[in-house]
Amino acid sequence: MIAKTKRVADYKQLTTALPTLRYVDPERVYLSLSTDRAKNYEMFVEEGENVKLGQIIGERDGGYFKQPIYSSISGEVEGTKKMMHPSGIEVDVVIIRNDFKDELHETITDRPDSVIENMSKEEIINVLKEKAIVGLGGSGFPTYIKLNTDKPIDTVVINAVECEPYLSSDYRLIKDQPEDIFRGLKYVMHAMKAKKGVIAVKKTKKELIEVLERELSRFKDLDIEIAAVKDYYPQGWENETIKSAIGVEVPVGTLPMELGVLVFNVSTTAQIFEALKHNLPITKRHVTVNGDAINFPQNIRTRIGASVKDLIRLSDGFVEGVEKVDLVIGGPMMGTSVTTEDVLVNQTVTSVLALKSEEFYEEPCVRCGSCIYSCPVDIQPVNIMNAYKRGDEDALQNLQVDKCIECGLCAYVCTSKIHLTDYMRKGKKFLKNS
Amino acid sequence: MEIVQKSAPHLRKPNANVVRMMSDVAIALSPLVIFAIVQHGMQAFWILLVSVLSMVGTEYVYYQIIDKMNGEKFRINNKSFTIYNFSVVVSGLIYGLTLGDTVPLVVVAIGGIIGVFLAKLIFGGMGQNIFNIAAFARVFVVLAFGGAIAYEAFIDADAGATALGMLAGEARLDGPINDTYSYWTMFSGIGLPGSLGETSALLILVGGLYLFLRKSFDIFVPLTYVGTVFLLSLGVMVSTDAGWWFPATHVLAGGLMFAAVYMATDPITIPTTRPGRIYFAFGLGVVTFIIRLFGNLPEGVVFAILIMNMFVPAIDYHKWARNKFTVKSATIFSLVVIVTIILTAVGVNYV
Repeated sequence: MIAKTKRVADYKQLTTALPTLRYVDPERVYLSLSTDRAKNYEMFVEEGENVKLGQIIGERDGGYFKQPIYSSISGEVEGTKKMMHPSGIEVDVVIIRNDFKDELHETITDRPDSVIENMSKEEIINVLKEKAIVGLGGSGFPTYIKLNTDKPIDTVVINAVECEPYLSSDYRLIKDQPEDIFRGLKYVMHAMKAKKGVIAVKKTKKELIEVLERELSRFKDLDIEIAAVKDYYPQGWENETIKSAIGVEVPVGTLPMELGVLVFNVSTTAQIFEALKHNLPITKRHVTVNGDAINFPQNIRTRIGASVKDLIRLSDGFVEGVEKVDLVIGGPMMGTSVTTEDVLVNQTVTSVLALKSEEFYEEPCVRCGSCIYSCPVDIQPVNIMNAYKRGDEDALQNLQVDKCIECGLCAYVCTSKIHLTDYMRKGKKFLKNS
Repeated sequence: MEIVQKSAPHLRKPNANVVRMMSDVAIALSPLVIFAIVQHGMQAFWILLVSVLSMVGTEYVYYQIIDKMNGEKFRINNKSFTIYNFSVVVSGLIYGLTLGDTVPLVVVAIGGIIGVFLAKLIFGGMGQNIFNIAAFARVFVVLAFGGAIAYEAFIDADAGATALGMLAGEARLDGPINDTYSYWTMFSGIGLPGSLGETSALLILVGGLYLFLRKSFDIFVPLTYVGTVFLLSLGVMVSTDAGWWFPATHVLAGGLMFAAVYMATDPITIPTTRPGRIYFAFGLGVVTFIIRLFGNLPEGVVFAILIMNMFVPAIDYHKWARNKFTVKSATIFSLVVIVTIILTAVGVNYV
């Protein structure tokens, strides 16, 4: 307790051994028009219109970027409605009824390898921008912006760490489609003229290292290395992954690209391959359905736009007799809790967790210091909490609350079960508003 | 079934709670309690019982009154009462173990009541106290009821002084204490005079090991504290040709080990960062040693703890408190340590 906590309980074994269930043909898909980042949008289709897989049905305007919206199935537009987005807010969605034909839009054609090999960086960036490829690790950050840098990049790091408990969607993806990952990495290295590629994976996940090593033998011509990193939380935090995988320390506030490093999530890499090779937008992804309130935890490959309700139904529903459920989209340490099952699955949904909601009895702080010892960015959660409580702007500034990455470790380790991460968020907001 | 909204993180570490932390301290203290009763007989049992009950009882009555003043309904099981997490029991036990076996039970009770009330409750209860409760109660007993109770009793007992008492004041450098007590006696505590819990270094180490393995305290605090006293006494030994008995006695005899393991590690009254805790423990070592060497109070530890408790907010101040040592802070700290040792070793010849 009064020591540095680096491990969090894992719970991954519940789902890693099972094959991935394929649920790619939902009756209807719900595609979000607006999102938490982009409030404005334009819709290009009308009710009753037939759309094809990969057809552009609208465009979001996120201020500094515009993002086309693609249909993930072929079928008929049934109209629009309000629905909950994985970020926990209500958004406008367009409903498309599946005709189960998966008719491809005429723009969806394969690119021969010879063409891709001769594509320039700008052309590759354009494809990624056009196909609306975003970070699939949960951030949803447009991938093309990452590539669109003038800084020389010499190393591309693929983050396959997946340090959040319960999650195994990346794990299954590596087992199911290792080739896509390597080819995606190859394309990125080609685009950025990077000399080195590193795939960071947890040392404890021996099966994955085996799969990746086997696959690596087909890519001998490239300088790709598999970095077995230590199993601790938050190893998957970009800066931590870079440090463990290639030994470069990224100071908080600096972007990795300034140091010549680019990091992509492993599923984003597979998606980059799809976009460049098949000219496909994101239409499917792996989602972990897990938690102690789910009857049959498993991984599901599902269509973008499916409903969380369906995924829960496919996992035999909630455990009976549970009165209160905490439904989380994303990992249990950083994920968002939603208040209804009627949530659409978008590109960034890594997992759906149903946890038995436990009320933690909050005791007075005993200043044990576990939060300080465990903090990955070396700030002092307990002292920040106290500074926030007394409204001390000066102290919040000096205690560098802005460095907080909200990994949730301080609240996780707290001996008194105080929700410190919440105080960190409040502290940040307080500084911003003052 | 209901879906509730919560904010991340949605998990909490299993087996990390205040109840466990405090009950671990109680478990680590239990060999000392048994040893005290074996060594000092039933009187030790009554003293410990009274010290615990006086603190628990005071807190209970206090919270019942507070609830009454807030207009809440009377309940036997008061919600603010902290007996469920053992914190007040631990304070009572530590306080009792610092007392000698001749202290009248009335004095024990008064010390306990005043201690928990003035050091804990009026500051706002658990987690809010500035001073170590047990140390405060112990010092109160010493000051209010005079040396008559705290010291004469010891001095009269057995060989005329506690092992450490022989080191205090004028007699401090007079002669090897192990003429009177063997190292084994001082280490095991069997037959060694002194307060109830402090005599057996062996059992204190066992308790400390348990707390360390359970991660219920920060091992750096006792290590730095005892290490500082050891280094300072080593310096004095070198400068006065005192012999190895001198540092050995300073470390083994008296309340140093007990205070280092059970009192200086009370997280509520010490700084929150690792470097802060090391500075704090170093300060404790220096103050303890100076009180022992230049003052005539053999029990420098409880005073040292109260004095250093006052500096906790200063050590924790946001302008300089950092989670880890930097090259700069480590250099300055090492220099301070070296200068302190030299000053003490040289200074002892002039006082």
